[in-house]
Amino acid sequence: MPEGVVYDLGYRPHEGERLGRAGAVRALYRDGVRRVLGMRRRARRKVLPAVLIGIAVLPALFFVALDVFLADFGDLPPFFDHPGYFDWMGNFILIFCALAAGELLIPDRQYGTIAVYASRPLRAADYVGGRAAAMVAVVFGFVWLPHLVLLVGRAWTSSEGFGAYLGGNLDVLWQTAVATLVYLAAYSAPAFAAAVYSSRQSLAIFLYLVAFYAVFATAHAVVAAGYRIVGIVSLPDHAGSVKDWIMGSDTQEWLAEAAGITPALSLLIIAAITGASAWLVMRRYRSEL
Amino acid sequence: MPSAPARLGGTATSVSVMPPTVAASGLRFAYGDIVALSGLDLEIPSGLIGLVGANGAGKTTLLKLLLGILSPAAGKVEVLGRPMPERTLEVRSRVGYMPEGPCLPPDQTASDFLIYAAELGGLPLRAARQRASDVLTIVGLHEERFRPLGGFSTGMQQRAKLAQAIVHDPELVLLDEPTAGLDPEGREEMLDLITRLDDFGINAVVSSHVLPDIERTCTWVVMLDGGKVLRSGPLTDLSTTESVHLEVLDDRDRVAAALEASGAVVTPDGNGLLVTLADGDPSGLVRDVLADTGVGIRRMGPRRITLEDVYLAGGGGQGGEDA
Repeated sequence: MPEGVVYDLGYRPHEGERLGRAGAVRALYRDGVRRVLGMRRRARRKVLPAVLIGIAVLPALFFVALDVFLADFGDLPPFFDHPGYFDWMGNFILIFCALAAGELLIPDRQYGTIAVYASRPLRAADYVGGRAAAMVAVVFGFVWLPHLVLLVGRAWTSSEGFGAYLGGNLDVLWQTAVATLVYLAAYSAPAFAAAVYSSRQSLAIFLYLVAFYAVFATAHAVVAAGYRIVGIVSLPDHAGSVKDWIMGSDTQEWLAEAAGITPALSLLIIAAITGASAWLVMRRYRSEL
Repeated sequence: MPSAPARLGGTATSVSVMPPTVAASGLRFAYGDIVALSGLDLEIPSGLIGLVGANGAGKTTLLKLLLGILSPAAGKVEVLGRPMPERTLEVRSRVGYMPEGPCLPPDQTASDFLIYAAELGGLPLRAARQRASDVLTIVGLHEERFRPLGGFSTGMQQRAKLAQAIVHDPELVLLDEPTAGLDPEGREEMLDLITRLDDFGINAVVSSHVLPDIERTCTWVVMLDGGKVLRSGPLTDLSTTESVHLEVLDDRDRVAAALEASGAVVTPDGNGLLVTLADGDPSGLVRDVLADTGVGIRRMGPRRITLEDVYLAGGGGQGGEDA
């Protein structure tokens, strides 16, 4: 009968290459993506991201199906187009950004993991950069994937044929991608800043959403009362205005436009908010890493 | 309170032939008006080094300066021969840190977190997986590797914290209060692991309030007090003495008188006597006096000075907030 042998390999030093800063940032990015999507976590951590992704993608599939069944009734309303899809998705993009930012930044401070990062070859900019890259990847996928489904689905069911439909609508690919980046900047950057200054995830998400909607509702009420310039503070309206500018659409009258702000200026305002948020985030981590 | 480190005896040079893992000169750091380190001069050799001091002595501040989290207001510090904070990233690739407080994400498994910690240290994914598995075996958590860290006991969490500090194979590891919160069994396990670091070729700086832990694990000790080095030297120099501690069965006064008559200085020390001779080892004299008087003894041996004795004699031990 063969006997098993236990080998004690002891301590084996690492003699291979060390990737340094680049390896650390890559690890931060990969961990960030997994964390937001609940990958390699318990099942309950996967539920919320899965539900939100489902909410984002399923309507696109539904619209494709509607195309097939309602084709005989003529043109579909703009609600079913790509610009309209952004409007419909707006609230979910906001919620997803708040959840993702909280998940990416707060547990590291809440559970003291920042101390581990402080002993690794990375600076504050690397940490923030790695986490921001994860945010961009996940939110971009969340927002853009439905448009891809919508485009490919319509091409697949089109009477023109797959190739002809896709060839005739290639502009949609870059337009939706750029519009996605605009929404990402407008909603993610402030969510990052909010998450950095809170030590409890649920509280940070709640306060961010409350503040966002309070500003939005107040701006709409004040503009309705005649003070149109107040429309400048409504971030979703800036994002919507820029989106329509990029896509050559006009889904609704945005408060930014009512306040006399051009889409180009709206884009600058979004860029300024992103820059200010990045400064706040870096200020927080510079003393810790 | 001395303003410069007081070396302890001649053996210091024999231990210090290796280049120092840490060298600091005139190191100063303050939190606003509160001075945490005040002109600190220090050379720490390779091996297992104890860093002791009361709360507010500057231990944590020194560790943060060694990691490059803080920059000194004045003075210089080198870690593994590299100046800080100029070469922080290079040093951090070669240094591990076990913080005093929690640092483990409760929703990740031990294996996943260790792989992640190794990658953060710059190891490629494949090597990170191998190292994580090896290190979890070394700290005795291999069976628990697929359990979330949040379900670990305090002892297991401390071992996981040590594992993340060494998973990227550092040359130097900084351990901040590694036995904090552990029961006696967990403490023993942790001290055994720290002792093994030397076998792995990993230098360690062990910061602790618990002086017996330092005596048990370290070969060199640095004592901080009020932001300055109170003492820095090999532990053997601290514990060796030429005094003899003697416990006699009866008639202690007669033995004491005979010793004093022979030129020894005798002082009561608990149940026994502490015998010191001005010009050397008093052991021979004690033996002769005991033979002459015919008094029996319960115990006799060199008096061992503990770190606590040295620390208290040196003026340490005053409390305050940890800097």
